This record gives sequence, structure tokens and C-alpha cells, in this order.
Amino acid sequence: MDDGVLIRTRKLTKAYSEVRALESLDLEIRRGEVFGLLGPNGSGKTTTIRLLLGLLRPTSGDAAVAGFDCWRESLQVRRRTSYLQGELRLYGSMRAFEVLELLSDLRDGLGLDRAIAIADRVMKLDLRRRVRTYSTGMKQKLALAQVFSDPAEILILDEPTSALDPSARGLVMELVSEAKRQGQTVVFSGHVLAEVEQVSDRVAIMRKGRLMHVEDMHARRGLRMLLIKYRSDGPVTIPGELGLIERKREGEAFLYEHQGELPALLGWLASAPVEDLAIGTEDLRSLYDRYHGPAVDDEEQPS
Amino acid sequence: MKPFAALVRKVVHESRGTLLLTAAALFGLGWLSVYITSRNESQILKAIASGELGERLEWLRRLGIGTAPTSVELMMAFWNHPFFVTLVAIWGISRGSAAVSAEIERGTMDLLLSRPVSRTAYLLAQVLVAVLGLCVLGAALAVGAILGVHYNTLRVPPGAWELIRVSANLAALALPIYGYTLLISTVDHVRWRPTWIGSTLTLAGFIGHVITGFPVFAESWWKPWVDRVSIFSAYDPVELVTKAQSFGPHVGILAGVGGACVVLGFILFARRDLPANG
Repeated sequence: MDDGVLIRTRKLTKAYSEVRALESLDLEIRRGEVFGLLGPNGSGKTTTIRLLLGLLRPTSGDAAVAGFDCWRESLQVRRRTSYLQGELRLYGSMRAFEVLELLSDLRDGLGLDRAIAIADRVMKLDLRRRVRTYSTGMKQKLALAQVFSDPAEILILDEPTSALDPSARGLVMELVSEAKRQGQTVVFSGHVLAEVEQVSDRVAIMRKGRLMHVEDMHARRGLRMLLIKYRSDGPVTIPGELGLIERKREGEAFLYEHQGELPALLGWLASAPVEDLAIGTEDLRSLYDRYHGPAVDDEEQPS
Repeated sequence: MKPFAALVRKVVHESRGTLLLTAAALFGLGWLSVYITSRNESQILKAIASGELGERLEWLRRLGIGTAPTSVELMMAFWNHPFFVTLVAIWGISRGSAAVSAEIERGTMDLLLSRPVSRTAYLLAQVLVAVLGLCVLGAALAVGAILGVHYNTLRVPPGAWELIRVSANLAALALPIYGYTLLISTVDHVRWRPTWIGSTLTLAGFIGHVITGFPVFAESWWKPWVDRVSIFSAYDPVELVTKAQSFGPHVGILAGVGGACVVLGFILFARRDLPANG
């Protein structure tokens, strides 16, 4: 794939008798980006990841990583990927360093020194202890140390912060950013919207096995939300070249979306009959709620 | 080679307890069979010679013991004891059920197969350790018996090869047990089911084999069918020391059935979905 796309799915579908866990997924993930997968439990995130890793066989459609078919050439795919499970289980009878050693040996012994360094110095884990004496969070830290030390092109993290304390969560975000700086592609699934928003270049929102929307987070970060209350009730003319789009009316105020030059906007605001003004950004929550909020119609079509 | 060696190390790490215990038990049974034979041989021979083979010794006749048995034939009658079969069956069933479904049930299959390890390599490591384990069990029994012969007195001490041959036949008996348990394990996601089905099939085969040995069923129409179906028909220690040529066909049948199940297991495992944890 020389068009910059590293992961591509076409009409990818996974069905279990009557249940369609994933429905006709068309997705492209570019080399070097951090791609967030969002959606509630059962939305198809983990199924997508397992299909990419060749752990599940597609019912129809196909998926490819770096040009390799995810089912027929899954070994090639797994050479290029490192995966953190959502529901993590480790070998309780092994010592922590033995787990790192085993997982590293399964990749020809690569990345062991770095894994030990991250687990020991960054995650502050006692690697001589047996894994069964670890808390859930410690086990997750151990697995994260392994994943971030793998010399893989793609890191697939399924809910990587679910069992972590706030400081460890911050650390994971730093490691994701570092992986991106090193040119690795990260596929990140999670429920904490702020985390996904913080690190992702693009975000896919899924619902009931279907891809509902893909959002470019860079474009979104340049988006301003303006809540303006005018002095007069009369009509206010907004020049079209300003890039101010009315979203809705909230009581006496108007909510606008703006994605354009700031000086022009400020110039217009100075001359407009503005009584009160609030400028902010729209967080991922409001986008997410468009597809998963309480008022969402189950039959709503993907955008 | 490093990933495969790591998988083998992991399987050895998990199974070493069962292997050590069963090997120690077989070593002890090997020794004990010689010790019991040496202590009772003259009495048994006297009873056989006088024609007063009471009910207590009637079972020896059913096992093929003739009117002038050698020491090793008497010894091999003990090797028919269910203890011997049970020990190799424990190994076969425990390793077969552990191969795939136990790993899925524990939730660690993802950990291994999300790494660059093929399903074939994963299963091959399991099979290799199981078969090597059987070699260890066979060797433990043979060594126990050989040392027993060395330290006890038998009328006609058997040769080491005779004991090794029967030990190998017993170890081979676990191949089909391992094979069909593994086959079920490759399509399941919990350990108890392959364990239960493997145990049931083994027990049914053993009971069938025992029943066909009763004189009352000697002329039954179904006897040849049960004999053919039961894998235990391919393990007859007394026959093996009197007719050494039966070793090849017996081990061949056992290895063939076990091998066929394992090959089918490889095919099914390569095609199946691996469910997520939780």
C-alpha cells in the first residue's frame, strides 16, 4: 500500500448466526497516525481489532495490514503489530520478568531490554514477583511495557487505560505520543473520550457493528464554538466569508461554529451588536452524543 | 526457532508437575510388579501345576497365562492393571484438554497468538511436549522394571528389551487418548468438556475391552466389533512378551488413530475463530 494507507478494510463483516457483530466496515488507517475507535460495548471495536489480527475469520469482505490479508497472511500481519488485549489475562504462575521474556521470545527475543526498562523504571513494577500477586492495574502496566517496547509498525491498544490510576493513564498517553513521534501507527480503542481526544489524529465512532462517522481531530481542534447574545432582537447580518455557521438557538443566544481566520472574526465582533459572548471548543463528547446520546434514533444512518 | 522453543518451554513449565508425578508412579509400579512377581512366583506356579487354580487366580487365565508361564509373563499380568492404563490416560487427557480450550478458557491464547506465532507452531509445541512426555513415562516404567529385575530375584529374569517394548506399547496407548481429547479441545473454549468427553471415551473403551474378556461373552456376535473399536485391544502385555511381532501392528494402530485425530485437530484449529476474553 503506497498511498499512505497501512490498514484497509473493505465491506468487512463478521456474523455469528443471527448476530452481526460487524457490518460492512470500510475503513482506512494511514501510516503514522493515531486512530481512535469509539463506541459502547458491543459496537464492534474489539471485533474489528480481532479481525485485523487474524484471530477471527471474516464472514465476508476483507481486511489488509501493510498489504497482507489479515486472515490468510495473519502471521505477516502479526509481525507488524503489537496488541494489548482489552480483557487482559497473564500467566499467574510466572514471574513478571518471565512473562516479558516469553512474550519477547515469541518475537525472536526483540524488545526485551526496553520492556524491562519500561516496566522497571517507568511503571515501577517489581519484576521478580509472581504475576498472580499483581493487581489488575499492575498486570496492565506489565503488558503495556511489553507492547510499547515491541519493534512493531502498528500498536493496537484495546482499552489500554481501563484499569489504570490517573498518573499511569497520563504515562500511557505520553507513550502513545512517543510511539507516534517514532513513526508507529497506533489504533486506540477506549471509553474515556478525553484520552482519545487528546492523542488521536482521527476518530471513528461505531455503533451496533457499524461505522457511523470518522472525524479528523486536527480539523476539529481548529473549530471554535461561539455563543453570542445580541443587544437587539432584530436580524443580524453575518458576512458569508467569515465562516460562521449557525448551529442552533439557545434561549436568547445563538450558537455558532467557526473555522476560519480569527482577525476577521474579531473585527466583525467589534462592530456587531454583541451584548455577551463566550468562545470555546466543542469536545468529543458532543460529537459522540450525536451517535450515542439518549435521543439517538437506532436506525440513524452513518454520516 | 526462538519462538517455537519459547512455546515448548512454556508447555513444559505448565505440565512438569503432572509429568513428574505420573512418571514417579509408573517407575514405582514397574518396580512393584517385579517385587510382587518375585515374592509370589513359586506359589502361583505351584497352583497352576497342581491344577488348583482357584478363583483368585482365574483372571490370570483370561489374560493368556498358560500352564507353564515364564517370570515375565506373570509380571506382565500385573501390567494389565488399570493403574498402569490410568496413569498414561491422565497424561493424555490432561495434555489434550490443555492444548487449546484451557488456554482459551484462561484467556491467554490472545497473548500468544497476537504475537508472530502461527497456530500450527503453537499446536506443534503442544503435541511435541505431549509425545516427549509419553516417552518419559514409558522410560520411567521400563527403568523401574529393569532396576526391579536387577535388585529382586526372578526365576527367569526378562531381558531389558522385553520390558522396554511393553513400556513403549503402554506409552503408545495414550496417543489415541491424547488425540481424541486434543481434537475436542481444538474446537472448544472450556477445559472441562474435552476432559469429560476424553475420560468417557477412554472409560467406555476400557470397560468394553474388559467385558469382551469374560468367558460368558466369548461367542457373542458383538465381541469382535468391540474388540476392533476399543483401543485397549492394542495393548496386551502378556501377548507382547510371547509374540514380539505384535508390537509393530499394535503401536502402529495406536499411533495411527492418535495421529489422525491430531492432524484433524490441526485443520480445525487453523480454521476456527478465537473468542475474546470476558
